Amino acid sequence: MMSRTLKLLAAALLAAAVTGCGTTVTRMSSSEVVDLSGEWNDTDSRLVSEEMIQDALSRAWLETSTRQLKRPPVVIVGEVRNLSHEHINTNTFVSDLERALINSGRVEFVASKTERGGVREERKDQDINATEETRKASGREFGADFMLSGTINTIYDVEGRTQIRFYQVDLTLISMVDNRKVWIGQKKIKKEVKRASVRL
Amino acid sequence: MAVDRPVGRRHSPAAAPPPGRWRRAALILLVPWLAAGCATFSDSMSPIERDMSAGRYDAALATLEKQSHASRDEVLYQLNKGMLLRMQGDYAASNDAFDVAKKLMSVYYATSVSETTSSFIINDATRAYAGEEFEQVLVDVYKALNYLALGTLDDARVEVLQSEVKLREVAERLKSSHYTDDALARYIAGMIYEQEGEWSDALISYRKAYEAYKKEKVYARIGIPPFLKRDLLRLTQREGLTDENEKYRKEFGIDQWTSADDLARSGEVVFILNNGLAPILREQAKSVYDPVSNIAVKIALPYYQSRPMSVARVEISAGGASAASAVVEDIDTIARDSLDAKMPAIVARAVARQVVKVLAARKAQQAAAHSSNNRDNAALAGLIVGLAMNIANVATERADTRSWTTLPREVQIARLPLAPGQYDVQAKLYDASGGLIATRTFSNLKLQAGDKNYISLSWMPSQLPEPRRSP
Repeated sequence: MMSRTLKLLAAALLAAAVTGCGTTVTRMSSSEVVDLSGEWNDTDSRLVSEEMIQDALSRAWLETSTRQLKRPPVVIVGEVRNLSHEHINTNTFVSDLERALINSGRVEFVASKTERGGVREERKDQDINATEETRKASGREFGADFMLSGTINTIYDVEGRTQIRFYQVDLTLISMVDNRKVWIGQKKIKKEVKRASVRL
Repeated sequence: MAVDRPVGRRHSPAAAPPPGRWRRAALILLVPWLAAGCATFSDSMSPIERDMSAGRYDAALATLEKQSHASRDEVLYQLNKGMLLRMQGDYAASNDAFDVAKKLMSVYYATSVSETTSSFIINDATRAYAGEEFEQVLVDVYKALNYLALGTLDDARVEVLQSEVKLREVAERLKSSHYTDDALARYIAGMIYEQEGEWSDALISYRKAYEAYKKEKVYARIGIPPFLKRDLLRLTQREGLTDENEKYRKEFGIDQWTSADDLARSGEVVFILNNGLAPILREQAKSVYDPVSNIAVKIALPYYQSRPMSVARVEISAGGASAASAVVEDIDTIARDSLDAKMPAIVARAVARQVVKVLAARKAQQAAAHSSNNRDNAALAGLIVGLAMNIANVATERADTRSWTTLPREVQIARLPLAPGQYDVQAKLYDASGGLIATRTFSNLKLQAGDKNYISLSWMPSQLPEPRRSP
């Protein structure tokens, strides 16, 4: 039957057309630069963490504090406040920095305010459920020597369809003993974003 | 009827139907399109608004989600969805919807080539809706208010910064005697900066709000809210701006206000009333004479229909203290003003469109009449073609009645400073003659020193008028 063949052919074509409209996924390297909207993206985050890691490990605070403490300094991550024009996830570069510093073996970190809640709960649970030998007692946490905090600020300059976006990320290490600032890392990023005047 | 033919000879899998079928197909396609042309966009909001005015926000949301909408109306869909989610108290989901709307607004900011053409040939409603300027500012404001309700002050601050960029753009784009600054956006910005401890930024925002209330035509009716006067006095005092403080004292006739330090020691309840609904666009036909082509054309123009509002003022009270509300934003007036500003361009586009259509109809009529040898047939053919063209013109000439109708008609704010603690806050809603309409209680609000607790209420009269036909 000819009409049946045709129907099948039509169905096959339709199926092909439908799959053609589906989602496409292309994997790419995390270091590839793709700017879509001009807003803060992974590339900005990476630029910040690269700069901060390099700076934090090469400055005097590390050597000085290691000498004074006679052990690697212990840091806690405080809040990185977003005072910019965009909703920015600051966790990405902060954890990049944290990881690089820990891996260098020269700085140690203690769990942050949000992380330690879960740990403490687990410790309480151990009090009841864990064996005597493996139980970890409360009140033996390590007090951090420094707190890492920071801000993201932006300046936007707009003229017609052109925007200049200037981001400044400041990270500060503050001594828990006496509020001294021992290190300030800074990264500035400037972008020109031109909005389309015509679309199809 | 399927006709069996060898496959090899067939090039396209889609069999070409006989001519009669095409005609039928064309008719089938045309009918719903014409029928859809008869109802304007704003009519489709009626069932949703009925649920809203009865306080059934979930039903309204369900109806909105069920209704099909063209992709060019996606911004409006998301704006209405965000507003309904907000009324339900789902602030996070509301912000997700507003986010989608904001992204699309910035895409549609660019002029579309194809849409400009279709809006010239068909009508303005074929363009993607990017939101009026005041609507674009108010998305930021409502997003900020959502974040404040969620208690994430820094996120609210981000929205405030974005609204400031937007306002700069609006002032640059509109450059006219109409709406160019938004007092509510400035005032919310001031409150957020002050809560963040950014005193100078707060003062600048309060000052801008003050200037907008004073100078912008759209705020003439409501004047300067009393709490803004105290904000200006408090901050100029804190910043040591004695001359400016003196100036405000004389102007407002106020000698006493809570100092910044005292305010920082107490908490504050900020009550926001979304009162009524924003005006809705309706369509009216108008005959206009075009002197250039010497043709009188009938065009469809949008006009705003205001909606009633039952609440005149609100009094909030807790722990023995009370505060009265004041109007901070008059969206009804702003919307009307922004339509007034655009009306000359809307009329010009509609007239040009109709003149072209009329001329085309005449040409077609003449061509049809000349194409036949028989005189009777010629006249008939001309008549039919002319009629068909006219029907098409009437059916396609529609006003663009799209607007963000779930916005309130006006916004009122009441601020009540309270000592730190836990409170049940009562809001009493009064009508214009002082009669109590309703009382709402917000239980167990926790207040810390220097903290602000934002509570919102949407209120609309239980009966909204049905769409009025063209006058």
